[in-house]
Amino acid sequence: MTAVGSACMGTSTAVGEDWVRALSVPGPLQDEAMSLLHDLMLRAARRQVLRMTPMLGGVGLDVVDEIAHQSANDAMMAVLAKLGSFEGRSRFTTWAYKFAVLQAATDVRRRVWRERAVDVDRLELVPDRGATSEQYAEAVDLASAVRHAINTVLSQHQRRILLALVVEEVPVDVLADRLGATRNALYKTLHDARKRLRAHLRETGHLADLTSQAGTP
Amino acid sequence: MNRRYRPLAPGLVARLTLDTDPWLSCDDCFRLVDQYVEELLEAPAGAAPDAPAMLAHLRGCPACADETTTLLLLAAEDRGLDPGVAVARLRERS
Repeated sequence: MTAVGSACMGTSTAVGEDWVRALSVPGPLQDEAMSLLHDLMLRAARRQVLRMTPMLGGVGLDVVDEIAHQSANDAMMAVLAKLGSFEGRSRFTTWAYKFAVLQAATDVRRRVWRERAVDVDRLELVPDRGATSEQYAEAVDLASAVRHAINTVLSQHQRRILLALVVEEVPVDVLADRLGATRNALYKTLHDARKRLRAHLRETGHLADLTSQAGTP
Repeated sequence: MNRRYRPLAPGLVARLTLDTDPWLSCDDCFRLVDQYVEELLEAPAGAAPDAPAMLAHLRGCPACADETTTLLLLAAEDRGLDPGVAVARLRERS
């Protein structure tokens, strides 16, 4: 087995240098490294797609493989484009896997949501009637405070992003596609919205209630 | 216009108001996640990598958390480690 092949199995101590060099320099070793890298991408993509199959609603292994192959191909291009940024802070294999995992997860989420509309403008949050009588008054008070804060403290953009991502559970990359935004930008909006809500609820004296419910599923 | 109603159950309230400080972006999570999962796998039992921003991000971003779990499973398998134990270590920290 070559040095690159050993690295694939996680047994080499000079994985990073070997992989980057092998993938960069034209020749037989590059061909072998490309083939091994594709195997890695396919393994990682397939693992991610298999973990998400419940979301896909009973599709067969042929569909899983179709998505995994496409994701692996796209991820391989991403890895080769980013090869110069590999700093050796992890094994090369772990670094490379993450590109395939991200690509596969994004592809599955887009597929699941491609026929689904995202509409938060008609969404209204109401107190939880499933709470026990003992919890009810406290839950209604807190829910009312949170609902009021969402409607009055947040900007319209923050409110829509918060409701879409947290209440409707629209995946962040799907929402980014729909809005022509980036995953990063939407997560920042979500972070700021949560922070603003927390600050307001601290001022109104509800933050202790939040802390006591933080571990509730 | 028909309105749709969603109950504000305690779990939803907690997710809406989650504390996700210290700030970490999705891009930085992606940049650091390979190193993080390896530190998680290599840390002695009971010891956690000192990564509060990563933990806060994984609590607040389901997409990044899901992808991190898969990466952890793959890296654990490469090391011949029990993936179930690896995932439990991730969950007990986030």
